[in-house]
Amino acid sequence: MSALLMLGAWVQQPAGVVKDELAIGEHAPLTDIQMKDVSGAMISLEQAAGANGLLVIFSCNTCPWVARWEDRYPEVHKLAQDRNIGMILLNPNEGYRNKGDSYEDMVKRAKEKEYSFYYALDRNHKLADAFGAMHTPHVYLFDKDMKLAYRGAIDDNARSAADVKEPWLKNAIKAMAEGRQMAPQTTKSLGCSIKRVK
Amino acid sequence: MKNIIRCVLLAYITLAAQRGTAQEPISDSRLLQNLAPAEIDSVINSYHGDKTVLVNVWATWCGPCVEEFPSVVKLQRMYPRRLKVIFISADFPEDRGRALAFLRRQGVDWPTWFKTGPDRAFINSLWPEWSGALPFTRIVNKWGRTTAYWESSADFDKFHRYVKQALNP
Repeated sequence: MSALLMLGAWVQQPAGVVKDELAIGEHAPLTDIQMKDVSGAMISLEQAAGANGLLVIFSCNTCPWVARWEDRYPEVHKLAQDRNIGMILLNPNEGYRNKGDSYEDMVKRAKEKEYSFYYALDRNHKLADAFGAMHTPHVYLFDKDMKLAYRGAIDDNARSAADVKEPWLKNAIKAMAEGRQMAPQTTKSLGCSIKRVK
Repeated sequence: MKNIIRCVLLAYITLAAQRGTAQEPISDSRLLQNLAPAEIDSVINSYHGDKTVLVNVWATWCGPCVEEFPSVVKLQRMYPRRLKVIFISADFPEDRGRALAFLRRQGVDWPTWFKTGPDRAFINSLWPEWSGALPFTRIVNKWGRTTAYWESSADFDKFHRYVKQALNP
């Protein structure tokens, strides 16, 4: 760890590119910001949360990794819903609003894929910035006090749901609902960078 | 006169043959080789003491990767002896052919790599602070010191600036 800190001390990190991610235990930021959902209604994180917490997924229409994982959104949603945990997808790709990630494109996608959960516009990637989210899909699971319990990937196999060995997010949802210690609390996967506007 | 013509013809044939050899295209299996997480360090370290290394992780499905790709190829052409660009494709295995075709279209004629194995091990082996977002770039100077890294895309000037810093500390 100290070696890593030393590395960080002298490696040049171009400013504003890699942000600090929300840490485990930190409170969800900007929970009162109203965002436009694909239903046309406005929604905030606090409104989307269930009694036992909230699952936030930074997602989009234009990332092949989202397309691969998307078939697991409904299962994850059901698992969360059964445990009184809300779920919301946020689209932060401001730089791709004219390349497939406009509000209209989101509405279309939600219809095509029969999303039964919120899918809202994260204007100017305000929330993605506050979360330190870097790519899509990128998940954040908050407990009943809106403190971060898990962040990272849905599972260890984007390509095939059938070949998943470690269903990290599902395990985290179950552990959180049952009040068990979860491990791991953070995971990583490849994904599409969030298309920020400079 | 006949001898002169013969000499000129021979020289021409020899030159053409040499040129033919020089332009021998790199084979698919060399142009894009499998790379497991445990092998990443040894690939980078193989240039230790010799060249600055620029590692660029890309994929054909990644718009910003495709946009910035020519800038990185250009840098390799600018510093053929002092810089080694290590492209690593993170395409899905079924898209290997697309990745190869893209490398050919971009005129890449040196060995590059194709990510294999689990994402998490790959990300952490390449750079523990990387979130996994593509594209990703890491620059390692010839003494093995990582001098810069960043997620998301960059323009030519940014690549050049950080490569120059690594080349001329």
